[in-house]
Amino acid sequence: MSRLSSLKNWRNTLTLCLLLAGSHQMAGAGVIKAKAWLAPLLIDGAWHKTLLSDGAAVKPWPWADTWPVARLRAPAHDVDLLVLAGDSGNALAFGPGHTRASAQLGSNGLAVIGGHRDTHFAFLQQLQTGDVLQLQLPSGELRQYRVQGARVVNVDREPLLATGDHEQLLLVTCYPFDALRAGGPLRYTVSAVPQPLIYAL
Amino acid sequence: MKYYRHVYRQLVGDAGHLGGVPLWLAFRCLPSLLLGALFLLMVLSTAPAQAMPERGSGEPDINGVESGQLLLLDQAGDTVTPALMNTSKVHFDISGMIATVSVEQSFRNDSDRWLEGVYAFPLPDNAAVRYLEMVIGERRIVGKVREKAVAKKIYQAAKKAGKKASLVEQQRPNLFTNRIANIGPGEEITVRMEYVQEVSFSANTFSLRFPMTITPRYMPGAPVSRPSDQEDAQALAINPYLGWAVPTDRVPDADAISPLLNPSPGSEHSPLNPIEITAQLDMGMPLANVESPYHDIALARRAGIYAIRLVSGVSEMDRDFVLNWRPVTGATPAAALFTQEVDGEHFGLLMVVPPAADRAAPAIPRELIFVVDTSGSMGGVAIEQARASVSRALQQLRPVDYFNIIEFNSMHRSLYRQPMPATRHHVQRALEFVRKLDASGGTEMLPALQAALVRPRRAADEFRERALLRQVIFITDGAVGNEVALFEEISSRLGSGRLFTVGIGSAPNSWFMRKAAQAGRGTHTHVGDLDEVGQKMADLFDQLAHPAAVDLTIDWPAPVEAWPQRLPDLYLGQPLLVAVNFGTTPPQGEVMIGGEINARAWTVRLQLGSGAGSATATGHKGVASLWARHKIAGLLDEKLAGRDEDAVRADVLPVALRHQLLSPYTSFVAVEEVISRPQGEGLDSKPVPNTRPHGQSPQGYAYPRTATTGPAKVWFGGLLLFLGIMLHVLRRGEVDHVPAVQS
Repeated sequence: MSRLSSLKNWRNTLTLCLLLAGSHQMAGAGVIKAKAWLAPLLIDGAWHKTLLSDGAAVKPWPWADTWPVARLRAPAHDVDLLVLAGDSGNALAFGPGHTRASAQLGSNGLAVIGGHRDTHFAFLQQLQTGDVLQLQLPSGELRQYRVQGARVVNVDREPLLATGDHEQLLLVTCYPFDALRAGGPLRYTVSAVPQPLIYAL
Repeated sequence: MKYYRHVYRQLVGDAGHLGGVPLWLAFRCLPSLLLGALFLLMVLSTAPAQAMPERGSGEPDINGVESGQLLLLDQAGDTVTPALMNTSKVHFDISGMIATVSVEQSFRNDSDRWLEGVYAFPLPDNAAVRYLEMVIGERRIVGKVREKAVAKKIYQAAKKAGKKASLVEQQRPNLFTNRIANIGPGEEITVRMEYVQEVSFSANTFSLRFPMTITPRYMPGAPVSRPSDQEDAQALAINPYLGWAVPTDRVPDADAISPLLNPSPGSEHSPLNPIEITAQLDMGMPLANVESPYHDIALARRAGIYAIRLVSGVSEMDRDFVLNWRPVTGATPAAALFTQEVDGEHFGLLMVVPPAADRAAPAIPRELIFVVDTSGSMGGVAIEQARASVSRALQQLRPVDYFNIIEFNSMHRSLYRQPMPATRHHVQRALEFVRKLDASGGTEMLPALQAALVRPRRAADEFRERALLRQVIFITDGAVGNEVALFEEISSRLGSGRLFTVGIGSAPNSWFMRKAAQAGRGTHTHVGDLDEVGQKMADLFDQLAHPAAVDLTIDWPAPVEAWPQRLPDLYLGQPLLVAVNFGTTPPQGEVMIGGEINARAWTVRLQLGSGAGSATATGHKGVASLWARHKIAGLLDEKLAGRDEDAVRADVLPVALRHQLLSPYTSFVAVEEVISRPQGEGLDSKPVPNTRPHGQSPQGYAYPRTATTGPAKVWFGGLLLFLGIMLHVLRRGEVDHVPAVQS
């Protein structure tokens, strides 16, 4: 009998542990989603200040190590994101980040923007050749890009090249989109080239 | 046994409690099954993560990509670890002004396939590579210098036939490629090279620099698509260099000078590309100190000869190896001639140190333009060194000086519209500007150089009796592929200005530093460590502040062929080095070297030949090779100045072939006569990766990490919750049942 009750206690404890650990994991996932969802609300103010102060970098909160550098829109997919400076994990938690080592946004050369595959950049898989992307720069200038194509690359085999003088935008996210493991070597890249701005009526 | 019986009894009791087996199945089993099915579904939905990669070709259209399908341009199934392991050994034999260096590269094939290795490696830019041998076990095969195209053909034929062969080509004066064909599984092949170089001497310090890795270079220009339907395509397919860059219209050989880097940074404890460094130093004069700024060395001295080795035995090939040594004050002669006789011909290397100028030179007002490279390759320690260098230099400015700062990456921007006086306010603003410099983007050097060298017309100039002396200080790692175009730009736009280069980082492009400074008629400096910045910048400013020795002339007693033919200006502490061919008569008589410092003439006389009072050291190894190397460099400079390439090539070839030297038009090739690879076996080409320069931040060439742990958390959390619920369900059954047993 005592053996049975100890078994029961043990089971109780295990159940409780499993439930707690499970909830903890779920909460962790929730925090990631919540951060991604909440960030625009926090960063929007900083972006407006940036636009008003003619392109100065404005941190969304005093201890932030990143700031908005552009606004990226994909009208066909109802996507409106603020691009942050830097592509460190800290920045990417709050929004897509511009890789500092690549060319400046809106200038000649290849500008790279990275984003998480399960939050901000999940929409990359729906982008089609010819889709329009819009980028608003801190100066307020609006630029338009046309999606040129997409590729899956293996980062171990094919480093990111900073070649070419032509303006090009490269959106990068992890691949496959529904993989579990973080930190794999595959990336899904969408390249876009500038096209003259046409105002929709 | 008892426990199982208990569980069975419990289950039967539970079924009875619920009112029969069917009901038990419906209320107890079905929920469990449903949960199980749900769990299976979750596992299956994440399965594409382990799906087999599918091979695709060309640029796939975005519409063709379906989820779960993988399109890779590379061959699938390649592992990250390189199949070919490379270890190196280098030994310096330094005697007087000349170093004879032996470099050994061993390639071990750890795979089970026959491989061709392609290794791009740096050497000092003034190295005269004059010997190559391939060592396979006990056998040694001595290489021969051939015309580049001929060497390539010989190598290709050997490779095809299954013979072991090695082909060493010069891509840049400081960048070479070594291909080794038909390395069998588990085999090791060693390629040993020997080169001669002169030791550099400046400010009473001798130094030697040995580069070990290549900072990834920026390739300007638009990519050139590979020809697909011509014989060119075949040539490319036969001998690809396996570099990461695509040829562009401005750097047509980009793939040959862009070796892959190991994805992980190097470490001293378990080096990715280990190298063993030893040296023997025989200067024939007492030395005050011998030091290596970036490596720990152990010194032993016997009879005035120093033996040097690394304390740790081997080191990672991720930064330049530098050896500096200083003679005790007054021990260096003001002039010396080293000679060698080869096949009845007499060669010499002449070194002259001009007298030091008196410090009382009037302070000439000058205009200093700092050009700072803030491209992506400068990321990490390099940009810190650059910032420190400029800040240090700014503090050395005098109020009469004018200055400006230009930073460049893909674009350039300057601090002021025009050079401003170095008042405290302006310097303060400049320091602030420098502190905020960050490394990112490409390396578009040309427009930045143009901006620095072209003098804007200023109203102030009209009121000044003497134009300001314009000195451009160019701070960069030189990681570009279009060096020659830049040298042309510098020499054509220089005017009365002068350009000084400061090489930054662990593995700067030293050829670019020296050549750009030569084209800009200035000097070059290297800064490889933050601690060095103060001393190096102080030395540079000493050179900037002192008048240079100009209008140098040498009067030889008999007609000779001396290189370089146009003598450079000499800055404080720099010696004049001239390589000379005396012909068949041994050097005799007196040579007179003259020049002007600060509008005052000076001359130095030197007694040639053996005899009392002569400063000639005869029988010096390597002098002939150095003369040939100087001649080739001088001829190639003529090409820079606009001489026809074919004419230059026709002049270079006989020199390179006669002295067995590597050059842009000649390559070393060694072929074993035995056929080792069976005809049935295929041959794979594999690049041998370099190690990333020490302290360089990887962001420049790395993709961002764009996956969160979110999905994994959801999956794992779901699994845990499911298990918890299952346990709870089973437990409830037990609680329900236990009283029944008691009653």
